[in-house]
Amino acid sequence: MITDSVWGPVQQDMADVLAGHPDDVPAVVDQLTKLQDVLDRVPPLLDSNPLADFNKLYLTITTSVLERLYAGRFADPAFLSRLDVEFAARYFDALRQWSDASAGCPRAWSVLFHRIPGPDARPLPSAAAGVNAHINYDLPFALVTTFDHLGSDPVDDSDQHHDYLQINDIFAESIPGLRRGFLEKWQLIIDTMNGDLDDWWQGGLIEYTRNVAWRNSQKLWCVRHDLPALGRERARLDGTAEAFGKLLMSPMGALLQ
Amino acid sequence: MASEGDDAPVVGRTGTLTAVRTDLLDAGPGGTSAVFVTGESGVGKSRLLRETAHALRDAGAAVLSGTCLDIGDASPLHPVLQALRRAGVQTDTGPVDAAANQDGAGVLLERVSQQLRSLAQGRRLLLVLDDLQWADRSTRQLLLYLLAGLGEINLSVLAAVRSESLHGSHPLRRVLAELRRLRSVRVLDLAPLDRDATRELVAAIAGQDVAPEDADRVYKRSGGNPFVVEELSRDLRDGRVELSDTLREIFLSRVDELPQHAHDVVHAVAAGVEPVEHALLARVLPLPEAELIEAVRAAVAHRFVTSAADGYRLRHQVVAEVLEHEVLPAEHAARHRRYAEALEAAPSAVDHARLAHHWRQAGEPARAMPSVVAAARTAEQLYGFAEAHRYWSMALELGCDEAPERTDLLAHAAESAHRCGEHQRALTRLEELAARPDGPGACEIHLRRARYLAAAGRSATAEIEYERALAFAECTSAEQATAAAHLAELLVHLGRYADAGVRAREALELAERADGSTADLVRASAALGFSLAFREDPDAGLAVIRQAVEIAERAGHPDDIGCAYLHLAELLTGPLNSVEEGVLVARRGAEKLASIGLGRTYQTRLLAIAGNGLFRIGDWAEAEKVLDAAMRHRPSGADAVELLLARCRLWVGFGDVAQADRDLDAVATILAGGGARHVLPMLTLRAGLAMWQGRHAEARAAVQRGLTETRSDDLVLLGVLAWHGLRAEAEAQAGGKVPVDPAAVRRLQAVVERMARGAGNAAPPVRAVVDGYLDLCAAEQSRIDERNDPELWARAAAAWDRRKQPYPAAYSRLRQAEASFARRPGRSHRGRAAATMALREAYATTRTMGANPLAAEITAVAARAKVALSGDEDTVPMPMPGHETGDELGALTDREREVLAAVAEGLTNREIGQALFISERTVGVHVGHIFDKLQVRTRVQASRVFLRAA
Repeated sequence: MITDSVWGPVQQDMADVLAGHPDDVPAVVDQLTKLQDVLDRVPPLLDSNPLADFNKLYLTITTSVLERLYAGRFADPAFLSRLDVEFAARYFDALRQWSDASAGCPRAWSVLFHRIPGPDARPLPSAAAGVNAHINYDLPFALVTTFDHLGSDPVDDSDQHHDYLQINDIFAESIPGLRRGFLEKWQLIIDTMNGDLDDWWQGGLIEYTRNVAWRNSQKLWCVRHDLPALGRERARLDGTAEAFGKLLMSPMGALLQ
Repeated sequence: MASEGDDAPVVGRTGTLTAVRTDLLDAGPGGTSAVFVTGESGVGKSRLLRETAHALRDAGAAVLSGTCLDIGDASPLHPVLQALRRAGVQTDTGPVDAAANQDGAGVLLERVSQQLRSLAQGRRLLLVLDDLQWADRSTRQLLLYLLAGLGEINLSVLAAVRSESLHGSHPLRRVLAELRRLRSVRVLDLAPLDRDATRELVAAIAGQDVAPEDADRVYKRSGGNPFVVEELSRDLRDGRVELSDTLREIFLSRVDELPQHAHDVVHAVAAGVEPVEHALLARVLPLPEAELIEAVRAAVAHRFVTSAADGYRLRHQVVAEVLEHEVLPAEHAARHRRYAEALEAAPSAVDHARLAHHWRQAGEPARAMPSVVAAARTAEQLYGFAEAHRYWSMALELGCDEAPERTDLLAHAAESAHRCGEHQRALTRLEELAARPDGPGACEIHLRRARYLAAAGRSATAEIEYERALAFAECTSAEQATAAAHLAELLVHLGRYADAGVRAREALELAERADGSTADLVRASAALGFSLAFREDPDAGLAVIRQAVEIAERAGHPDDIGCAYLHLAELLTGPLNSVEEGVLVARRGAEKLASIGLGRTYQTRLLAIAGNGLFRIGDWAEAEKVLDAAMRHRPSGADAVELLLARCRLWVGFGDVAQADRDLDAVATILAGGGARHVLPMLTLRAGLAMWQGRHAEARAAVQRGLTETRSDDLVLLGVLAWHGLRAEAEAQAGGKVPVDPAAVRRLQAVVERMARGAGNAAPPVRAVVDGYLDLCAAEQSRIDERNDPELWARAAAAWDRRKQPYPAAYSRLRQAEASFARRPGRSHRGRAAATMALREAYATTRTMGANPLAAEITAVAARAKVALSGDEDTVPMPMPGHETGDELGALTDREREVLAAVAEGLTNREIGQALFISERTVGVHVGHIFDKLQVRTRVQASRVFLRAA
């Protein structure tokens, strides 16, 4: 309502891409590819803005997931495909809400979206901020919806859990910058923080946050019929992810690179 | 509704209202349509629902309205039952039929549909549901059942959903995402009003002379939310100078203006479960009748409360939320206590869900307990196991650890969790149960734990639990028999046939010794039968399951009989590939259950097997009849999906696009509620249908999706998908309009290689099927590579002949002929003759089956090659030539020809049975089919046809 064109000259292209609601992994990859093309044309910094950097990483990761699916490398591909679709749907939803200037847009995402016009942020922390919003906020909900839809539940050590953990490897392959060599810098940032954020840190960042997401999904699973409780949990996750996103997008995030 | 007379006009929604009406009346092929309106609170969803309901009622539709409740734990099907009651229908929620446990859920759905049908009386029925975000799982499933057309009602559903609820993980989010792909469903996001519409609304309420800057301020403050616009405009009209900043302030200042008794009424309605009946309110607020009515009138006049025939409601949910913060905890508890006491004192039947809610809110767990338990039992009677599980859990939270009833509650909580798929919860509750001193014995715990683990997909741990039960000294032989039988079943599912056989034998011995249950005997026999069949001793396997059928029939319980027949039919049509016999067995089992009048679910499943079997052996007319009969049982859930898929397969074969589309939409509708098992068959059918329509890209997309969702050890499914995928590419190649996708071809090749590797280790019956698909894939690949090889096609045809599946065989012959004709002419006269013969044979087969699209392709190829399919097909379409035994017998299967030959020799059915190693009864069924196909009535006439043709 505030302004009619969040995306400037690519407004229409963005609306066209976001009109799609992909329902399988090949279609998700397709949509992310189209999105990359649009995001690369967002002014003022052509070919590089925080969201384009995240999208590029996300596209790489989803493409790897698709390849593994084709190669038959998951024990329960129906679960993993559904999860991937649900997961992506939340990113597309956030983009749609941002486009509509809707109050429903998760704050975890708004942190990143706000920075699209600048000031310039480094690609790695930008991508990490997107990963943060997507894993810490979207993933637990995507897991709950997927399990609910398949008539199953998040059981530790199940086929689904093992498939889920496989994705950690893909993340590790795709974000070399977040691997060991950079961990000291991370530790440095985390050390300067206190409270909630300290919990995010332990060992490997992605592995850890993905485990947190799995645990959070189990927590959400137990209250999923209780809409007020679910709402509170959502606000909590959103708040924490927002705080962490802000940190990543701050000058301190640049330390990563 | 008197209180709604002063509603502001509907502004800025004219186009939307028309569109919604059009969408609702524009039903899809299944006769149903739905519009789901999403939007933020106050944006005007309920108003849109009301206006549309009026319009459709005026247009002659029957209209039913219900509202979902936010008490978190309404009873199953609440909004629909409420809607029926409002329309004056007696909704009996008693148990369906204790003897028909298996069928209960379906019977319940059918009973509700029946009530809706009788209410509609042939008119279009509009079901209006507000606040759908609070609907329970049972209601969602009923909606999908009805929208899939399974209730056979011309139904339109108009439902409102708060968009705030759809964030996060709300189950409706997924359901709507799936449904919005259907042509008959519209998901409409109701946006706030724009600046102009806001101005119009302000002017309508506050008068034309409102200053433009005031109107703009209303727009800014309200964000175009019509509810807020209305309230702010009234402030303007009534001269309240400072526009309140928040809704909260608006309402609080209004509440203060209310007379005391009206104030009480508003608070009482806010604490109640809507609609609050007048009689109930009178008990909660003990005022003299006249004063109460006066107070209600004031509450209505101040626009807080609305009044309808069935009771009072708050005008808007926002009011309840605002008031909630103004109430002291003690006040809150006191109001709910009054409600609870009033409900208990009421003469009518108690609504336990409602009573439990009030006692809990009153902070009286002990008094809530009986109602919570009663609500749990009611939910179980309505097959709402998810809701029942929540009530049992609630009862556990209310009670303390020392309470004597805790053990019983834990047992119920664990079992209901298991039945609604909450595996982790079921296991946790079971551990608590095991720790109770007065809990069930260790043996029962082992058995239940194993069952829950197996359901949760943790097979290895489940296996260990079963073994523990077997080794456990305290277990009786009967319990051990149960453990061994279940374990054997689990091992069959895991493909460990040798181990399964050992355990099954053990179970049978134990059961014999201990006089175990028939169900265990049937289960163990089936496991043994399958294990033997997969290990190449089919006759022994068959004998075991046949014996189980006899035992079940002697014991007489319909579930056992149904289960035994089902296993026998599955064994015959599956690994043994004696499809014909399997079909007979399935039909006999269904007839037997029908004569007892029970086991509807098993009848449906048996008929589904028969229908699929008849499809495979090419008796499509008969398959259609059987599937129609099965659909008349009004199946629901997974059984309905199986049947719809089977019937759709038939429509795709017949080339009936409209019917196929309808059934695919119905399948997609039910699957929107969840489930993964049936997605792949649905995708295969979608691909098959798209190919007949020349939409190769669509077929490709369906197959690619299928490949990403198929387990790598499911070789048969991969085979079907790979063949469909390669065929789509080959046809794209041949058609020339859609380019071949080399990446897709590469992926398909990789899948074929994986299949070929896997086939080596697969059990022989699986390998036989996979080999058939590998042949088809190899042949399609040659077509893609533009070296279309008739030899490969001939090989595929022979493979499917061996499998006794005429449809893929005919398809292969068509391609064989096509490939031969495409080779340089004159190269081999014999080649052309063979191709002509293959084409004629394919043509005869397809015409008999009614496979129209395939027959049309054959005709086209024949025309191109200038080959006559027969001498007279222009004048007389039937009977078909081609088979060596003669034209008139072309419609008969090999087996039927054998039987007919014997009939012509003058043998009796018994003699024929002995000669052909089949039962006398089977011969009778064959003779019946022969009579039908030859259109004769006596054995003498049939013999004459045979002798003439021979």
